[in-house]
Amino acid sequence: MVRISHAVSVLVTLLFIVLVGCTPNQLEADPRDADGWSQRYEGTTLIVLAEATANSAALEELIPEFEKKTGIAVELEQAPYDSVVQKSVLDFSAHRSGYDVVSFPYEYLGSFAEKDYIEPIDEWLDDPPAKIGPGFSTDALIPGLWRASSTWSGSTYGFPSNSAVMMMMYRKDLFNDSGEQAAFKQKYGYPLSPARTWDQYRDNAEFFTRDSGARVGGSKLDEPLYGTTLTGKRHVSTVLEWMNYAWGRGGAIFDEDGNLTIDSPENVEALEYELELTRFAPPGYTSATWDEVTALLQQGVAAQSITWGDTAGTIEDPQSSRAAGKIGYASMPGTDPKRPGDAHLGSWTYGINADSDNKEAAYLFMTWALSRPVQHGLAEKGGLPALRPTYEDSELRSEFPYWAQVLRSLQHARSRPRIPHWAGIADTLAQQLSTVLLGDTSPQEGLEAAQEHVSDVMADDVPITER
Amino acid sequence: MSLTELDAEDGPAPGSATNGATLDSPPHPKVRRGRRNRLLQAPSLIVLGLVVIFPLLYSVNLSVRRYSPILPEGDGSWAGLSNFSRLLHDSQFGRALVVTVIFIVCAVALETVIGLIVGAYLHRLAHAHRLVTTVLLLPMIATPLVVGLMFSFALNAQFGYLTWVLQGLGIADADGLLSNPNSALAVLIMVDVWEWVPFIALMVIAGLRSMPQSPVEAARIDGCSGPQIYRHVILPMLRPVLAVAVLFRATEAVREFDKVYVLTGGGPGTATTVNDLFQYKTAFATFDLSYGAALGLVSFVAVLIVSAVTFRFITRSGEYR
Repeated sequence: MVRISHAVSVLVTLLFIVLVGCTPNQLEADPRDADGWSQRYEGTTLIVLAEATANSAALEELIPEFEKKTGIAVELEQAPYDSVVQKSVLDFSAHRSGYDVVSFPYEYLGSFAEKDYIEPIDEWLDDPPAKIGPGFSTDALIPGLWRASSTWSGSTYGFPSNSAVMMMMYRKDLFNDSGEQAAFKQKYGYPLSPARTWDQYRDNAEFFTRDSGARVGGSKLDEPLYGTTLTGKRHVSTVLEWMNYAWGRGGAIFDEDGNLTIDSPENVEALEYELELTRFAPPGYTSATWDEVTALLQQGVAAQSITWGDTAGTIEDPQSSRAAGKIGYASMPGTDPKRPGDAHLGSWTYGINADSDNKEAAYLFMTWALSRPVQHGLAEKGGLPALRPTYEDSELRSEFPYWAQVLRSLQHARSRPRIPHWAGIADTLAQQLSTVLLGDTSPQEGLEAAQEHVSDVMADDVPITER
Repeated sequence: MSLTELDAEDGPAPGSATNGATLDSPPHPKVRRGRRNRLLQAPSLIVLGLVVIFPLLYSVNLSVRRYSPILPEGDGSWAGLSNFSRLLHDSQFGRALVVTVIFIVCAVALETVIGLIVGAYLHRLAHAHRLVTTVLLLPMIATPLVVGLMFSFALNAQFGYLTWVLQGLGIADADGLLSNPNSALAVLIMVDVWEWVPFIALMVIAGLRSMPQSPVEAARIDGCSGPQIYRHVILPMLRPVLAVAVLFRATEAVREFDKVYVLTGGGPGTATTVNDLFQYKTAFATFDLSYGAALGLVSFVAVLIVSAVTFRFITRSGEYR
């Protein structure tokens, strides 16, 4: 692989020499081509690793523009989630510099920063190594997102490469139906509306859970309708969903002093709450991840869902979704109806390999990727931008019904612990939560077991000072 | 690197003693041939050393240290046997072993019985046998990962066609088979059976083909019935072939990973977390590489002992040629 990429880089360099040789003055004489971007690193080849998603596919389509502006060739390698982590960890720990820029899940930030795998960029933020085009400004970045994805121990290590966040989705056609509204009022004594509190979410879920043949919104159901979706597979998606319920009750994985609180009363209560929701969830939730949830929403068999905003695109696609145009998007319910609950942030981060020989060119690439025209292009192609102006763009807002909500959710987003132990904690929690949701053990026992196991593994590393 | 090469070249050295050469004796044609043999073997032994012995030594080294590419305490410092003592107390490892043993015993037993019946039946087919054998090969040549994906679609609780069929038969409930700990493990065993029965069947066919016909004819002349011939004549003669097939399958089943990874991810809970998946999660999801190496070594030694005992058992019984 490395040999191939070297060969490619040599070829690309040769190509550039030929190009530049043939048209010696063209690039310099026509600064409009550069659009204000430095061409100092012309002939460099950057190797970028990112997760294989719609976002990366959209970025790949835009990369030729960067190559034209800067003369830097970019090879974008795309791989599935697990594989991105494994490839980058392998490359970092072997100090091979196989990748110049890696887009990694933000929970690895602490680990990569502590191990000096990635390069801090603080100096360059004020004083860029080369001329950066006018489309980039750190002021445009969504502040919380940037902080969560890129700052560790007072240093900045990169920029957010996407902006997934969880939110509440609901069937607005059902919630707006006057017959359903009247029936709800009669049963629960208060008006039907998209949930602002978790109690309300539960009532809504109970209310809309109906057998096939029953009526809903004036028509007969061909298949059962469920009040909520739920992820319960032994998979990280189960952990991430549960953390919203836990945060909603004041729970967390660590307390303020950094001590483990997995079996805190708040967390147990949140899991009891989720266990109750299973009564209103489609069967098979114990083998469901976010993929199954998306499919269920597309099928239109769930009235509400706590899920990832980045799945909204496929749910709104009329080609593949029966629910297109029927979904409403709202903030995470909370305890106080006036204040939305914390929503789980799922961002990825661009970081520069500390062993890279092309750090300055890599910085140029990151700023280009975060520049407004590129972020706008990403958004149009179904990607997930990280800039406030892109989410405030009126054209995009009218095109995507969920666009405004993504920004609102990002403003109330909260990150999971960004510590090296996270992968182990998540795996233990996934195992215990799926066992509890299966009904094999109680919430109290499940979380106690998780607390015990994680305490054993983390041993001397608690309390955690930075997360 | 040089260490391993030395190891590899040292490897065949004890062989010279068995060849009967001593330091005093003049070069004997046999010795010369031994030397030439060793020279000819050297390249492959060196390659073998590089790909087998080096990684093995590396894991041994890893297992007595505290190394992780992401954890702060994983700085590669000496850990002695602490990784090994940790696995003695690790209930998750214990559970993974139990699941693995259940998986191997059930899967291999079912495969052997069904494969034996299918093989014996196919052997008797005169004309269709070639076509049927080809069809039989299909599950075996499919990549395990693809087999896993196929069944994961077919068994999806909401949209899977197999779930639909099984629900019609009253075997699966509304949650589908993969949501329940017991049925999820049963599904994995059945998928493995589906994939590997053809292998046993082919071994059985090969065994039956190469079997001398005279004992069977003698038994028939003596008035044995069909089932009696199978039970008392054919089966004992097939035993060595079957034993090798079972040994093959068992050592393969120990390494079960792909299908579990795709179908259940080891869940629900830990119901289907087989040993290999547990090790993978330890080493490559939580990046606790040293502990992962210790787990790997222990499994390696266990498999080595079990197969050595089984192999010796087969050869001792005198019927293995």
